[in-house]
Amino acid sequence: MGNVVLGSYWSKLRRAEFCDGVPTTHPLSTTGLKRRFRPTISHSELRHVCRPARQFFFFVFVVSAMEGRCAVETWAEFGSSGTACTPWLKVGFGTDVLLCTGVDEVYVYSPREGKLTAVIEGPGPVTDLVESPDQQCLYVACASGVYRVSSRLLGSRAGRSPADASPRAGALKLSPESLAFAEEGVLSLLLVGSVLLTLCQRDSSWILTLYRSSDLERLRSVRVPLAVPSETGRRRRPLLTCVQPSAGGVRLEPILFKLLFGIDAALAKSPVVLCGLPDGRLCFLPLRPAGSRLGVLHSLEQPVVFVGASGVADAGRGLARCLVAVGEQGRVVLIESEGGGDRAAFVEGCVPGPVRCGCVDKKRLYYSTGSDLLALHLPEGSPEREGPSVEKSRVTPAALRSPSSLNVCRVLALAEPTCNAAGQVELLGLSARGQLQRITLPVDSEDAGWPKAPSTRGGRSVGDLLSAIGDVGERAAVLKANVKSKNQILRRLNQVLNISFLLAAGTDGEEREKPIGCRATASWSRLLEEDSLTLTCVLDNSSPYVLERGWTLSVAASPLSGPPAAGGQSSSAHFSFPFHSLHPGETLEVSLPLAAAGESCFPVTVSCSLIFSLAGLLGEEAAVLPGLQPACVSLPLNTLTVDWLHALRVTSPAHGKAPSQSSNTSDAVQAFLRLRRLSCGGGAEVAGERERHAASVRVSAASLRDAPALRGCEADAQGGVRSPPRNVGLSLMEWLLSEALGGVTAVRRGDRSALRCSVVHGRDPSGHPVKLTASEVDVAEQAGGREETLTAVEVRVESSSVAAVCGLHHAVLTRVQAALQTAPGRAAPEKRTQGSGLRKALHRAERLLQQIQQSRISGAVGVGVSTGQACQSLLSVYQELRENPLLVI
Amino acid sequence: MKEQGWKWEQEGGGDTLTRNQNHTRLIWCSSEFHKLLRKIQGIPPIADHTQLELTVVFNACLCLIAQSQFLEAESLLTQATERVPQMTEDGPFASDPPVFWKIALKSVGNTALNPCVMYLLCLQWAIWLATCKLQTIQELQNELLSVFETLSSGVWDEERSASRRMSSDIPLPVMDQRRLIELLQICTFIAQGAERLSEGRSSEALAGLQSASSLPAPRTLISYTHFLSGSCLAHMNRPQMALQCYRMALETDSQCVCALYQSMLIYRQHGNTQAEIQALRLLHSTLMLPSATEASPAGTHLLPSSLLLQSQSLSSLLSVPSALSVLHSLALKCVLHERVAEGVEYYLDLLAALHTEDQHGVHAGGPSLPKLPELYLQAGAALLMARRPADCMALCDEIITTTLELLPKKVVLKEPEECEGETRAACAEVEDGVWMLLWVGAAYLLQGHCHTHLRDWEQAVTTYTRCINLLVKVRFKKRGCQPQIPSADMVGMQGTNLCILQRLKGLSLAGRGISFTQTDQLREGLRDLQLSIQALPEGKCAGLWCGEVLWRLGRKREAVACWEKTWSFTPHFSVQSLSLYLQEPQSGPLLDSTELRCRIEELCPTLSG
Repeated sequence: MGNVVLGSYWSKLRRAEFCDGVPTTHPLSTTGLKRRFRPTISHSELRHVCRPARQFFFFVFVVSAMEGRCAVETWAEFGSSGTACTPWLKVGFGTDVLLCTGVDEVYVYSPREGKLTAVIEGPGPVTDLVESPDQQCLYVACASGVYRVSSRLLGSRAGRSPADASPRAGALKLSPESLAFAEEGVLSLLLVGSVLLTLCQRDSSWILTLYRSSDLERLRSVRVPLAVPSETGRRRRPLLTCVQPSAGGVRLEPILFKLLFGIDAALAKSPVVLCGLPDGRLCFLPLRPAGSRLGVLHSLEQPVVFVGASGVADAGRGLARCLVAVGEQGRVVLIESEGGGDRAAFVEGCVPGPVRCGCVDKKRLYYSTGSDLLALHLPEGSPEREGPSVEKSRVTPAALRSPSSLNVCRVLALAEPTCNAAGQVELLGLSARGQLQRITLPVDSEDAGWPKAPSTRGGRSVGDLLSAIGDVGERAAVLKANVKSKNQILRRLNQVLNISFLLAAGTDGEEREKPIGCRATASWSRLLEEDSLTLTCVLDNSSPYVLERGWTLSVAASPLSGPPAAGGQSSSAHFSFPFHSLHPGETLEVSLPLAAAGESCFPVTVSCSLIFSLAGLLGEEAAVLPGLQPACVSLPLNTLTVDWLHALRVTSPAHGKAPSQSSNTSDAVQAFLRLRRLSCGGGAEVAGERERHAASVRVSAASLRDAPALRGCEADAQGGVRSPPRNVGLSLMEWLLSEALGGVTAVRRGDRSALRCSVVHGRDPSGHPVKLTASEVDVAEQAGGREETLTAVEVRVESSSVAAVCGLHHAVLTRVQAALQTAPGRAAPEKRTQGSGLRKALHRAERLLQQIQQSRISGAVGVGVSTGQACQSLLSVYQELRENPLLVI
Repeated sequence: MKEQGWKWEQEGGGDTLTRNQNHTRLIWCSSEFHKLLRKIQGIPPIADHTQLELTVVFNACLCLIAQSQFLEAESLLTQATERVPQMTEDGPFASDPPVFWKIALKSVGNTALNPCVMYLLCLQWAIWLATCKLQTIQELQNELLSVFETLSSGVWDEERSASRRMSSDIPLPVMDQRRLIELLQICTFIAQGAERLSEGRSSEALAGLQSASSLPAPRTLISYTHFLSGSCLAHMNRPQMALQCYRMALETDSQCVCALYQSMLIYRQHGNTQAEIQALRLLHSTLMLPSATEASPAGTHLLPSSLLLQSQSLSSLLSVPSALSVLHSLALKCVLHERVAEGVEYYLDLLAALHTEDQHGVHAGGPSLPKLPELYLQAGAALLMARRPADCMALCDEIITTTLELLPKKVVLKEPEECEGETRAACAEVEDGVWMLLWVGAAYLLQGHCHTHLRDWEQAVTTYTRCINLLVKVRFKKRGCQPQIPSADMVGMQGTNLCILQRLKGLSLAGRGISFTQTDQLREGLRDLQLSIQALPEGKCAGLWCGEVLWRLGRKREAVACWEKTWSFTPHFSVQSLSLYLQEPQSGPLLDSTELRCRIEELCPTLSG
């Protein structure tokens, strides 16, 4: 039929040409040819070489004539484009092949004449093309719109010079006059009856537009929101195809049609447009009754590369028994009716991907992975429908797992398979190199079906069974291992949950000692010629649970206050220590550098936490779970504080003044520079080393004696022997320097005798000498008109560095507060008012406040005083505040 | 049927091109004006050039508004106004738009710049209108009114044309400014009217709309004012006056389908069926007409009125159901009101329209048509009423062949509350199954009626039996009970599928009973008729025929009781509200009530006395 039409068509053409008598010029630009030849042939040579080359010699090379192999015949070569567009291939005008390699040109190749008959040149990449059912015209989708090309025009180009011995192709340029309608970015076209459908992508949705093909009036457009935001990479072409319930085109079994597309579409005998989107959705739109809505049939969750109907149940009526869709990564879904027509079954399987293109005939799905062409045998329907009791030869996912290789590589596009006179299946393919190939499949496997002959059937089925058993065994082993690992994971997750509950229980309510906690010791050590304060953290697991692999101890050290870092963020350091396992009662010791000498940003808050990484535990499975992005459990433990007292380096009195061993040359240079800077800075600080700042804290001796913390220390010092109250100042000093506070102990090398002294010399982290003095003073008090004296301990901090004085004062104050808080509430607190002291202090405070405000105002206004002066005045205020402290009782 | 383009949010392919071209031209113009404006604004404002600058601003802004870029247009307007020298003298600007514009108008005073600033204010007005900021317009009402009066008096135009004659370098605006003002004025009235109407302030809205109807404006907009006045009156319970207004709207613009639709609703409300049918017919034919592209007055094509009238309340007032659903209502009305032949034609038109791929007059919104099998059944029932049993049978055949293989083997109906326990998908699947079963049952029933009509009693019995066999598959599950065959007392609400099931059962049993009676199988007939009465107590045919059979069997007392009971039974809902195919057939063998009464009188004169 096709041939007859084509024959008359050609003869008509011939006649038309003779009448026209148009002079034969060749508008075919050589651009396409040049592109192919440029690498090897220079431009001047082109003139000579070009002419014979244009004929597209076709050469046949049969890969193998052996049984079971395919014959591949290369018809023509078009060169590969290498562009982002998907190449495609269609059969039109009877037997002509229309193909596009992803560039602006569509080639029309006639296998009958064995030559290229026409080239259609679009203004941009040609994305799709459809032929009208009467073969009168072509609709070509290009970048800016859809063009209508009359096939007569094409034909006249094709046979321009009948007399010429070397038939040449003519190029037809798509001009704006032939624009059917303008629509930006049409990716696919489909012609169903009198309706032309276009599919294009706008920013957030796919738009399917229906045009009446007779006058190209727009009928309707349907919007499908994008499931995933569009990626900008390779533009994948969505697929449009059509199935019919009864007449014309690809016909689907009525029962399946009704199940899939509904009773309305079936009653209206409506053609249904199937649309495979690059996001994996398989949509359908019945064209009738008017106003039907678009539905989603299935989602492959990977770009759909092929949709078709296959599995012809009865050859007589030619109805397709199932729909096949193939995804890019090899997922195949077969849709067929099940259970005697109760419902539609979606059988999913996976073939080894990636799938570049596919096509389907009555029994098989052919697909190309780029490296091989494979055929997948689709299960055949039984000729008559049995009752539900009889088990039909149903499709199972396992059946989809055994494609057979056809040993043809690099096929990028396939056209509909055809059957030749000898009963062989012929495929037309476009290879990656731009070769148009005819692939003839061996006839034996085609005709006899899979079980070849009755004699071999038995052996074959046993073999199949054995391999199936092997498959099952393998799968069982994999599943078993899977279950085991899942159990393991569950057990560990349980442990993690236990620990989480344990640690989370303490956070609310009163501060309780957590069963898992950290303590630390701070010590100075020399690392890389530089002194640094090292914090040794000890993680103590006193819980009944084992901390298993996967836990990480995370320590974050951040200064409470400090100079802002360059980025404007606080400079905090994070350390994490993964560990293997920590059994109950065990401890884990880690060391971390807290600060180098010279960086005096104390106090430092050290927060410890335990982190468990779910990603590490779940491994690949975590990637599958969508809601598990920050897959970590973080459990805060406790917070430690390292203050100035911890960082104080005590020197023995003898070394107090003289520079110690650590003050080497660089220190000397530093000192010099400091001195220099000070002298340049001018002002009161010219005195440099001579200038000493001081601050003191006064605590009533009585309250100190009651403090259990101090008592314990005393007891220790006395070797357990309770002695009459000895020098409170001395014990306070000792306690200050040695006791663990906030979970941190300072380790001081050298003799401890240096600490047992009411005057302690030392150096701050920057190396400034510091003197701490504890002395007992009597404070006169006026209480109720009476003069009373109170014994108090005064801790005095003296140093040339303001920072050291401030820091140490703060540290001492914090500790004394902590010590007194632990003291048991005295039954009747002695009511002593520091009447006169208070009044004096108030006066002083008011005066100082005034002074501060003054300096603030002047600072804000920015006139009068320089910043140096303002600083100076603030400093003096601070010092005065610290000089005469109130008594802590 | 010739279907030409009635357009709904879709432009025909023919003018897509021109529209596209217009759009490209608009974009091009816009960018050119912006380039020009950037050049002009690159230098500090000079008093001499202000008029030129403001005209360019006007043009650029208008282009932006035409592309619906309101925010950009608004900021451009304020920026430009702030550059006016007189404005800059007055110091800082108010950020509140109404205050800003009041100051702006005051500061330019009575200078030559006054009209320029006023035109800019008009554009601002257009933006407010397009973005439905009616409140702001209300606040500035006095200013806008004075602007309107000043500008429409045409004083400035004359001055300008005089000056244009003198020097040719007076810049031209892209849109006739007087037309713009008129357009704004009437659109404001319409938008305000719609807003007030939707807020229930009908009388207030009416006053504004009636004053607006005399303004110079395009026909479409005038017809809107009439239409909205009509809607106000309908709200105020004055249907006759409302109809007058709708008529005026139609006279002004014959494409004003909403007026036609609303008139139809009023007729329906007042039970004027003939007028309703007439209105529906007109509405349908208007909807099927190709919409004549309105010839917009010169110079207003940049700013179509649809751009300015985007309020939700207005579009809901103007909305009209699709042509197909109008056709369906028309067909149904005709059949129900004794114009069966006409109704059948409409039904056939509707089915034909649904079978074409031409999708004109279809839009996603609005009330959707019933499912196709339902329409087939209605059409079939109508055909039977029109005494075309063969056609009816063909339609039913279609339904049966399409649906039969999809029927579920077993169906259990559940109370709606019980459904919630299960997944919705499962429920929907059961529901679909039930509907398909009911459709096939109804198709068999209609076929049975057809056979009865043709007096082919054997076939009728066969078909009715098929129907009954199908229907008894359905079990009904009450809470806490086992599934059982439903009975008449379980029918709760009308319109539920249980109610339809019972009706189908009653009618098919009655049909079979009558058929048996006709072939003298009186015992079988009696059994079926009694079962039918059980299933559907209000069935008239079944009751009368049951009496008749009893009479023939000689049980005359019982027969009389049966007749009396049937006559005394009043149905608890109107038969008209039922689907066509669920109504009792008019075509079968009938019993004459008066003749029956005579018989009763003969039997026992004392009883009937």
